[in-house]
Amino acid sequence: MTKFLWKIGGEAGFGIMTSGVTFAKIATRSGYHIFDYAEYPSLVRGGHNTYEVLFSEEEVFATQKKIDLLICLNQTTYDFHKSRLDSNSLVVYDNGMFEINDNIVKVHLPFKSILQELNGQQVMMNTIVLGATMALLEGDINLLYSMIEEQFQRKGKEVVDYNKQFAQKGYEYIKNNHPDKIKSILIKKDEKEKLVMTGNESFSLGTVTADCRLYAAYPMTPASSILTVLAQWQNQTGMIVRHAEDEIAVINTALGSSQSGARSAVGTSGGGFALMTETISFSGTAELPLVIFLGQRPGPATGMPTWTEQGDLLFACYSGHGEFPKIVLAPGDIDEMLKLTVKAFDLADIYQVPVIILADKLLCESHKSLDKEQAMSFMTNYQPNRGKTVCSPTDKPYLRYKLSDDGISERLIPGVQGSFYQSNSYEHIEDGHTTEQSKPRFEQVNKRGKKINTYLTKDFDLPAVYGDVENANIVFVSWGSNKGAILEAQKILYAQGTKSAFIHFTHVYPIDSNKVNGLFSKDKRYILIENNSQAQFGQLLRMQTGVEIKEKFLKYDGRPVWVEEIVDYIKKH
Amino acid sequence: MDDFNAYAPTWCPGCGDWAIGVALKQALTGLGYSPSSVNMVFDIGCSGNMNDFINAYAVHGLHGRSIPVAIGMKLANHKMPVLVVGGDGGIYGEGGNHFIHACRGNHDITVIVHDNEVYGLTTGQAAPTSSKGMKTKSTPTGLIESSLNPLAIAITQGATYVANTFTGDIKGVVEIIKQGISHKGFSLINILQPCISFNKFNTYQYFNEHSYKLDEKHNKADFNSALIKAMEMSTEKYPLGVLYQVEKPAYHEQLTQLVAGALIENKRYENFGGLIKEFF
Repeated sequence: MTKFLWKIGGEAGFGIMTSGVTFAKIATRSGYHIFDYAEYPSLVRGGHNTYEVLFSEEEVFATQKKIDLLICLNQTTYDFHKSRLDSNSLVVYDNGMFEINDNIVKVHLPFKSILQELNGQQVMMNTIVLGATMALLEGDINLLYSMIEEQFQRKGKEVVDYNKQFAQKGYEYIKNNHPDKIKSILIKKDEKEKLVMTGNESFSLGTVTADCRLYAAYPMTPASSILTVLAQWQNQTGMIVRHAEDEIAVINTALGSSQSGARSAVGTSGGGFALMTETISFSGTAELPLVIFLGQRPGPATGMPTWTEQGDLLFACYSGHGEFPKIVLAPGDIDEMLKLTVKAFDLADIYQVPVIILADKLLCESHKSLDKEQAMSFMTNYQPNRGKTVCSPTDKPYLRYKLSDDGISERLIPGVQGSFYQSNSYEHIEDGHTTEQSKPRFEQVNKRGKKINTYLTKDFDLPAVYGDVENANIVFVSWGSNKGAILEAQKILYAQGTKSAFIHFTHVYPIDSNKVNGLFSKDKRYILIENNSQAQFGQLLRMQTGVEIKEKFLKYDGRPVWVEEIVDYIKKH
Repeated sequence: MDDFNAYAPTWCPGCGDWAIGVALKQALTGLGYSPSSVNMVFDIGCSGNMNDFINAYAVHGLHGRSIPVAIGMKLANHKMPVLVVGGDGGIYGEGGNHFIHACRGNHDITVIVHDNEVYGLTTGQAAPTSSKGMKTKSTPTGLIESSLNPLAIAITQGATYVANTFTGDIKGVVEIIKQGISHKGFSLINILQPCISFNKFNTYQYFNEHSYKLDEKHNKADFNSALIKAMEMSTEKYPLGVLYQVEKPAYHEQLTQLVAGALIENKRYENFGGLIKEFF
């Protein structure tokens, strides 16, 4: 089956986002895979919000340009999206509000008068158009009814029934007035259960899976929903979720908690991350484990808060003053997010270093479907690996920063009788006391540095390769959330006769030069794809491995890399 | 008390830090603690250098950031006492925001501030507690700002134990530290101490002349009386003793997550099926 893109738009503050998630869940409950994407300004009211959901019988990783069904709650939505419609596109609108003169499939729905008739509030327009959607796509209206029940059951049967009426009106209006426009595209199938999660939700689930005991944050788009999700769960999970006074307090609180032996994490975006960097350096030299979630948005400074970019890669990799080891992981989708979050906690404990999970607004806030059974089995089978963390010291006297071949020393959880030690932000000798002497300085710098090699040998994962590099005409190289658009572009290119491969990096820093060099040969056409203007991963790859990718596709307007843009680029070059 | 002794201090001879170091060890010993049963966080400065002179489970952190580290340590293991040792620069200047908010939270930590009204380790610049008009290396024509009043801030922002003391009275310092550690909730112990190398103004003689001990008539449970006493500090009159002490639930006592035990002792949560329901 072909993919189908459903999109709704309207004034901000009137339930567009909720309708989007509702439709995404209806699609997965109907047996389909989804990927969704929302655009909204940094405002609570006013402005224009949109939400699009792509669904398909096959797994989907990115949205598409062509809109198959557009729901316009106002004229702005139509005007903004004209260029993405063709003569087969269904457009649901109220001709009492505006009229359309283009060659599309017009689906007039009088939601203003239905609203008046039922004495409803503006937000209930969403329910009317969702009902209409179920009729137009021949979906099961009961799925929408049960979503309404779940949403309003706490308010009682009367409220549930009242809201259902709006759905029913929308549904019946289409059945009675537009039977010729109905497409059998959302017919309910029996499929395995799927979860619908954003990157932030997947990270949240990952922290619980990894037995993270304390999460601290200061709200900042696009990372804020981690704080709210984990806060809602805290009575169940037992995690302490703390909204501190600023990002500096946030990261120092988490580090204090880590010192006491609890797995701890923080989350923020670029501006908040900038405030945290001194403490990242502290974490590095004091060798205190910490997981830091960085959800990128376009900078510099306040930038474009609700949009997406990959502009903080080099900043993340080189964050913190002085030289110390750290690990940066960049998941490409919610499945990788869950797995790499859990791995981040293990790596932080094993190497006693800060580990950064690098995401962006696209990954943070877009929903994707994920096989429920697969996710459950991953979570239940996971056992935390805390490395050399101990509850009683092996040797006495205990030396916190004891020199070792792999660079890692035993980390004693404080409180054991007969021992004591300090975690020191000053340079220190093996037992933790401050030093300014030459020999121990050399020894401790070398010891910390050794952890990089140990990591590269034991835990660095090579990039995933999609397609066959040997037989490909084109090899895309990218990292993080661009994965989705590139995978979808590969399918289109293949159908058009172009064989491509895709090297997808998740373990972005540090990179093992020896292992990675083998993936690059001189006689291939490599194209670097990034959502920033300075080809930051290209720079990083060259710095770390000597591999230089000359051909670049870069985008930095706050929007993600679109599938069609990649395809067009290949056509034109 | 010898158990707490680590390296020989490198403070200047005659510095008030010596007295605070001794008093702190005496207080801890007096309360029955050992280096293995205490969590300490040291700020950066001459005061924070105590990290190498006293034995404990400790963190020597970043300048100004000792309070949030202490909060994290307390939340993860509230069964151990957590002490912060810092100076007026780190706690009231660089870390002023943390100080205010820690008071609000009534976090059960004891914050011991070496208040010498100058920056010592960086050789003599103005501190938040320096008097208006004071000439220092960074204010050669005299400090324009008026001095910060840490006692009034602490009392008004929610601290539940606020004391002021002076290194000229070691017995008093020991007693106040003991009470501060035993108090459940946020304890501020501001300790006036001369910096003999870089503050020629706030000397032993100066503090002796400008301070007085609070008598039994002072009602430390009364917010208004405490605040009136605290405000005297802004007029260079230093009341010594416990200005304010009330019983209120500490931050960690209000977390249901910690009812069963310390955070690090709790069982791992594994009911993932329950959590993922909302994603279906």
